[in-house]
Amino acid sequence: MSDRRDALTKLFSAKGAKVDTNRGEAYYEALMKKMSARLQQLETSDLAMKSSIERALDAQGLTRRDFMKWASAACAMLMLPSQFTPLVAKAATLMNRVPVIWLELQDCAGNSEAILRSDAPTIDELILDVLSLEFNETIMAAAGHQAEEHLEEAMKTFKGKYLCVVEGAVPIGAGKEWCTIGAKGETFEEHLLRVAKDAVAVVAVGTCATFGGIPAASPNPTGAVGVQDVVRGKPIINIPACPANPANITGTILHFVLTGQIPELDHLNRPKFAFGYRIHDNCERRAHFDAGEFVEEWGDEGAKNNFCLYKMGCKGPMTFNNCSIVRYNEAVNWPIGAGHGCIGCSEPQFWDKYATERPLADSKIKAPTGGVEKSVDEFGLGLLTAAGIGIAIHAVASASAAKAESEEA
Amino acid sequence: MAYKKVKRMSLFMRINHWVVAICMVAAIATGLYIGHPYYQSFIADPAVDKYVMAWNRWIHFMAAIIFDVSSIVVAYLYFFSRFEKAYKKLIPNGENIKEFGDVLVNLVTLNRVKKFDSAHADSFNAVFFFIFHLMLLWMLLTGLQLYVHAFPHGESSIGAWWPAMLHLATDWTVWITGGTYMDVRISHHNTMYWIIAWVMFHIYYQIWRTIFWNEGDINIVVGGSKFVKEDEKSSERTKK
Repeated sequence: MSDRRDALTKLFSAKGAKVDTNRGEAYYEALMKKMSARLQQLETSDLAMKSSIERALDAQGLTRRDFMKWASAACAMLMLPSQFTPLVAKAATLMNRVPVIWLELQDCAGNSEAILRSDAPTIDELILDVLSLEFNETIMAAAGHQAEEHLEEAMKTFKGKYLCVVEGAVPIGAGKEWCTIGAKGETFEEHLLRVAKDAVAVVAVGTCATFGGIPAASPNPTGAVGVQDVVRGKPIINIPACPANPANITGTILHFVLTGQIPELDHLNRPKFAFGYRIHDNCERRAHFDAGEFVEEWGDEGAKNNFCLYKMGCKGPMTFNNCSIVRYNEAVNWPIGAGHGCIGCSEPQFWDKYATERPLADSKIKAPTGGVEKSVDEFGLGLLTAAGIGIAIHAVASASAAKAESEEA
Repeated sequence: MAYKKVKRMSLFMRINHWVVAICMVAAIATGLYIGHPYYQSFIADPAVDKYVMAWNRWIHFMAAIIFDVSSIVVAYLYFFSRFEKAYKKLIPNGENIKEFGDVLVNLVTLNRVKKFDSAHADSFNAVFFFIFHLMLLWMLLTGLQLYVHAFPHGESSIGAWWPAMLHLATDWTVWITGGTYMDVRISHHNTMYWIIAWVMFHIYYQIWRTIFWNEGDINIVVGGSKFVKEDEKSSERTKK
């Protein structure tokens, strides 16, 4: 109940939804000083990991110039003025000083996959590689007691300093015992709570970790919820999307490195720099939406002309994310660019309410009573039919009653 | 049988009624298009010459804002109307409950029983219209909640206060409908069907009254007055 109340309080604060891209000179000057001091302090601190971004860039044949181009783009993404670019670049080289513990809970590991499996890693992905991953359940070599020991050691060494990155939903319902981890058979919930306790902040990566995602979709057999529903009293940053964009993960961690604080969040704890705008607002097909030019079916003339995908169920108009600006895989492409509408993967309950692949009016969304699936239109039509029949019966009855009366008289 | 003319709606109230009616038709026609574009624009025309969705949205928002303002006026008339202050008929006191029941009985018995004075607005109608105004208020709140997402930067053509006020006034609808913006949309769409059903009954009932009461009720919203039979004005009667 108390979390509901928190959510309400946040909803009622108008500033929660506003994105401020220009905060004035005085603000940025103060910020610059603060960030410089923070980076200086980080620079003198111990290396948490031996690999560095310079070495990683070298190995991939990327030049300093490539790196600086990335730094200015990342600076813009974080909504900072261009004079912050050198600081962003410096922060990226200091990322190996921020210890990270990466947990893998109930999900498909798609976020890790998105970062690890690309055949030409982007700088965002390289930075996540050199990030001081003290412990990562998906990719570490250790197993069983050895892995557990490793986790204990990392938690002890970096107590109160490490970032806890979580991927995957947390089952807390009747089926939670199906999901255990480690040699001691900890449930995911216990595991998360233990690691999050000593973290400086918790970063929920991907929609499963933020809102429960696919595991929490109806009928939600394991009672899956997001990290924010389980972890209390810690700053939580949500980076939803399926998978979360590596650019947004890097951006959030960069922000943490730069300021030692979490970025400004919206009412769903999503960083505003990434989730402050709708996909629709910056969509390359937006003009076709306004013009009323829609793809009517896959492969038709409209599809060939890159018309708007709204009628194919695109949820860009109601989904907050920066896909339409940042795109995926170093801006190569993104779902709408590839000709498939947005399925709203960065919104809560997206699988049940957004990913219907039809416009809202045709969506088979489960009725609040559960069980029967009825589209809103079918329901409405049924209601209108019932009202029409009722009126017709009453009219006929009235007419015949009046007739009978006049015959009597 | 002598008839007496009774004035029921002022010119302003009648104009307001028809403005609302036109807005509603416009809002439903364009709203259905926004929910699912049901006609296509000419594919051969270049996009710059068409603005079909944008026009639909423009008409929808315009109709909505006129609707909203007229509703505020109606809310005022609930308390300060020169003719019948609707709120007096909404108070659930014995008199009103009895009248509500009597009018309902009249409808259900197909006008065989009519035990109330039909010269003035009755409690049944007042409650019926109150339901309509509640639905309108809900459409206003959910609609403005969906609308305010177009101002992520917190600015609008009339200043930053407008989106800020809309957030303050409508953000709770997200929470109450189920926690996502899609729930607000579903609710907005669903309520439209309830309003259409309401309108269907409203039109039917007014015509039914006109035909069976023989008092020219339909003229209330056109000429502003209706007629009541003189001999039954003060006395209640029971039809056989």
